[in-house]
Amino acid sequence: MPAAKNISVMIADDQASMRSLIRNSLEQIGFVDIREARDGEECLRGVITRPANLVISDFNMPNLDGIGLLRSIRVHPPTSKIAFIMLTGRTDIELLKRAKEYGVNNYVVKPFTVAGLKERIEAVFGKLS
Amino acid sequence: MNGAARALVSTGDGLDPCARRIHIVQGEYEVSRDPNVVLTTLLGSCVAACIHDPVAGIGGMNHFLLPDADGGSDSEHMRYGVNSMELLINGILKLGGRRDRLHVWLFGGARLFDRLTDIGSKNADFAEAFIRREELIPMGGSLRGSKARRIQFWPVAGRARQLLLSKADPAVLNPPVPTQVLPSAEAGSDVELF
Repeated sequence: MPAAKNISVMIADDQASMRSLIRNSLEQIGFVDIREARDGEECLRGVITRPANLVISDFNMPNLDGIGLLRSIRVHPPTSKIAFIMLTGRTDIELLKRAKEYGVNNYVVKPFTVAGLKERIEAVFGKLS
Repeated sequence: MNGAARALVSTGDGLDPCARRIHIVQGEYEVSRDPNVVLTTLLGSCVAACIHDPVAGIGGMNHFLLPDADGGSDSEHMRYGVNSMELLINGILKLGGRRDRLHVWLFGGARLFDRLTDIGSKNADFAEAFIRREELIPMGGSLRGSKARRIQFWPVAGRARQLLLSKADPAVLNPPVPTQVLPSAEAGSDVELF
């Protein structure tokens, strides 16, 4: 059973308020190692410099969007195994199908609850302790 | 550039008969680049953000109400406001707007009934904090107070108008019923991809 405190997370979202909500939710679940990026490029640089176990990313971001970030992470060998959860609105179903083609591990629909986010993370990592 | 971007506070009716009106109810948002469009809404304790990119000539309006914060943590309730603002901002960005150019007017957040919890003030607090946190450009508006408001917003011109309503106004007593609401926070399981 993996411990949340041992899983490092990178949040990618251009909206500071959303990053704050995600961070707050992750801390409630038990995550400790949490980093933030304001767009896909910053996230990619961050995980190349120091890999994370999990990326939680928005779709709509400047410079490099969520799909672009996912593709970049998957083609770069040192980062290709990073778990990737996409944040989405209800109208992004077609984009989600594309994300699945590129290897997204799961998705979370906004607005989400802490329990809902935990459920999606556990679907990827297994039950968290 | 749009030097004409301004907020007007009106006590008269002032509705433009030539405009194509789109009414926004709670939980909705609308974005437009059509100069003939005027976005309208009716606010009590809810808040509407009117956002405009003066260079791209694009704008939009949302209308949201945070759930009563008595039943959970603050952040749990903020999700609905953050989501509503994000939908509106992303809608403007998709049409060619830029985040660093976004002008914002905030309206609503009234306390219509003294005996009830002042949820209007909480909505107003959230909206102001959001604008600060996201470093958007505040252009004013009208928050709190004790009267309902009818708002008109011209998204291309970046012009907002407010009409204060009395508590006896039929529009206050019988507000339009939402045709849709913000998606439930538990709505994530309706598509089976995994």
